[in-house]
Amino acid sequence: MGDTTNRRPNFSNVPQNLINRNINVLSIKPTTAKKLVIKNLKSEPKLPEDYIEQTWKKLKSAVLAIQQSKPNQYSLEELYQAVENLCNHKMAPLLYQKLHNLTEQHVAHNIEQFLAESMDRYLFLKKMNETWLAHCNQMIMVRSIFLYLDRTYILQNHVSSIWDVGLELFGKYILLNALVQTRVVEGLLMLIEKERQGDQVDRSLLKSLLRMLTDLQIYRKAFEAKFLQATERLYAAEGQRLMQELEVPDYLTHVDKRIAEENERILHYLDPATKYQLIHTVEKQLLREHVSQILQKGLDQLLTEFRLNDLTLLYDLLSRVKNGLAQLCSSFNAYIKKRGRTIVIDPEKDKTMVQELLDFKDAMDNVVSTCFHKNERFSNSLKEAFEHFINQRTNKPAELIAKFVDSKLRAGNKEATEEELERLLDKIMVLFRFIHGKDVFEAFYKKDLAKRLLVGKSASVDAEKSMLSKLKQECGGGFTSKLEGMFKDMELKITVSILTMGYWPTYQPMEVTLPDQMVRLQDVFKDFYLSKHSGRKLQWQPTLGHCVLKASFRAGLKELVVSLFQTLVLLLFNDSNELAFDYIKEVTNIEDGELRRTLQSLACGKARVLVKIPKGRDIQDDDRFRFNADFTNKLFRIKINQIQMKETTEEQKATEERVFQDRQYQIDAAIVRIMKMRKTLSHNLLISELYNQLKFPVKPADLKKRIESLIDRDYMERDKDNPNQYNYVA
Amino acid sequence: MADENDNDRIDDNQKPEKMFTLKKWNAVAMWSWDVECDTCAICRVQVMDACLRCQAESKKDSYGKQDCVVVWGECNHSFHYCCMSLWVKQNNRCPLCQQEWSIQRMGK
Repeated sequence: MGDTTNRRPNFSNVPQNLINRNINVLSIKPTTAKKLVIKNLKSEPKLPEDYIEQTWKKLKSAVLAIQQSKPNQYSLEELYQAVENLCNHKMAPLLYQKLHNLTEQHVAHNIEQFLAESMDRYLFLKKMNETWLAHCNQMIMVRSIFLYLDRTYILQNHVSSIWDVGLELFGKYILLNALVQTRVVEGLLMLIEKERQGDQVDRSLLKSLLRMLTDLQIYRKAFEAKFLQATERLYAAEGQRLMQELEVPDYLTHVDKRIAEENERILHYLDPATKYQLIHTVEKQLLREHVSQILQKGLDQLLTEFRLNDLTLLYDLLSRVKNGLAQLCSSFNAYIKKRGRTIVIDPEKDKTMVQELLDFKDAMDNVVSTCFHKNERFSNSLKEAFEHFINQRTNKPAELIAKFVDSKLRAGNKEATEEELERLLDKIMVLFRFIHGKDVFEAFYKKDLAKRLLVGKSASVDAEKSMLSKLKQECGGGFTSKLEGMFKDMELKITVSILTMGYWPTYQPMEVTLPDQMVRLQDVFKDFYLSKHSGRKLQWQPTLGHCVLKASFRAGLKELVVSLFQTLVLLLFNDSNELAFDYIKEVTNIEDGELRRTLQSLACGKARVLVKIPKGRDIQDDDRFRFNADFTNKLFRIKINQIQMKETTEEQKATEERVFQDRQYQIDAAIVRIMKMRKTLSHNLLISELYNQLKFPVKPADLKKRIESLIDRDYMERDKDNPNQYNYVA
Repeated sequence: MADENDNDRIDDNQKPEKMFTLKKWNAVAMWSWDVECDTCAICRVQVMDACLRCQAESKKDSYGKQDCVVVWGECNHSFHYCCMSLWVKQNNRCPLCQQEWSIQRMGK
């Protein structure tokens, strides 16, 4: 809008003189008028008396010459002129009538030759064709001569044109004759049947005669219906017969050939209007009647043998008939379900199940995309069928898919490049999508993943992560959060020393609270260990654990080599700068004395990474601790010793206790051994034998106690008569 | 190892808010047979130790490697495998509950 308003004033800038000049040019010549006067003729022009007769004679001889294919003695121009003259003298109706009669006589005369009793059909047709073509040529010539009549009288009076008159008469006298018509139509049908049987026939003859029927407007009534009937009969019989005789692929090829042939027939000689009904008839008789039999007999074979060309043909043919594709689709679906079930259901094939499923899926995808034109109905049906059969066997497919992924992700699987592996994982995800029991998959996947991570057997971190992201995409973050956690944990390295109970000194079992990350790691390891060793149990020994911590102080990064307890305490300072003793105790669940010593080592030892408030050597209940950001040390890796003073006394006691216990067992064993050999023995002799055998100092009183204990336990007894003598009890 | 440390350091500089990061954990655990009674009722030795026979043999065998595992019956009673295999030759019943002896699982 802005533009036009801006532009408008510019018009006034167009040079005025330009417009003015144009006006001047227009008004340059004032015209001077001339008069034209038309006067009547003095007398009316008259034709000679016999002009009409003479002229008609001329014309009649010309028409007859044409009809008899004889040379014409008058020039065409002269004849044309004659017609024009007669018409201009209002003789047109008469002329038309005369011409009509002349033509009628000639055509009616022609019938004779077609009525002979017996006549070879082919010769008959040839003759008919000749007659027809001659008639047409004659009529064209005649029309040329009588063109003026055609253009004036006939147009103005709505009577049939000369050409039409020719057709009407030809129809009326020749083809409306029942015998002739039957002979023509039957002859044509015979020729077509011959061609259908594989013979060469004169197509131009067929074309010409059929064209004649069309021109005479009896193609439909006289020919088409009979032709379609014959077609139907032929193909009904052929369909029945060939379905029995031929294998399905051969049958399909044959049908395809038939349809092509019929199409060619239309191209070459049939009226195009017949096309729909003709093709429809062929399809109905050769295909629609046999769809279920074709599918039943041939589809499984084609799919199993993976005959893509035949399948394409099958699809193309069935897409021609109503419900053909629907039936194909449901048979395809049934095949997948049946075949898939055999892959899935047999426990003996478990080893190859997943690979077979992948191959099967590939093959069927290929069929849908190359043979079924990526028809969505088929790809949906394919998916539905897979989902159906894969869940026919509960859990096992999920398990095997998980294991298959494991085998591909495990180190040593060098068979695939990264890209191939990636593509394979994508395909597996497709199978995974079909599985209902995704939790089963998760469980096995998790177990295998744990093994790969813990034993360091994973082939590629990238592949692992990519698989994880696929799972996440498919099932959401909830599904993979634990698996992701496992990866996070693996950034922390765990080494576990497994000690055999009994070889090692016994340690006080101590329950402490570990952070989630460590608990998870511990559990994964425990599951892994117990899966390797049956019948065992594990007892964690937090007192013996130690860790390496990275610590960032203002002066830079340090590595701290610390005990597990020290670790637990220090990790708390990630969340808070200052913590009270009670809080630390509650959260870590470390035993009181142990915790005090731990805190002492961190806040009061050589390397003070924590600051105690208030300062002092001993830990009090209301002490507070703060992260010492200003900690410095010339070393990068610092070991902070756990303070152990008090523990040595406890341990010493425990060790003494254990020694004492062990000695008692040895004394017991020695007594039993001696008594078993001697059966009866006096107290003093027993004592002296014991001193000989025992390799550690022992008081007689202790020995006496052990003897009493063994008597209590019925290993031996005092002699009833002599209290100083013992008897062995077997 | 040195390379790993360097990488870690860079990581940490990017996230200075975490003062302590656990990098390595040497955990210790004790294993023992998961049994209800820790003495073998046949040889009277603790199941965690080798049975008497195996102890005697392993003295000669200087490797000291023990294969004296534990076996559980369907009745959940457990014995040294060596002891039990001798026992069943005479009497195919559990020494503790007299049930027909059949092996539920073996220690590994």
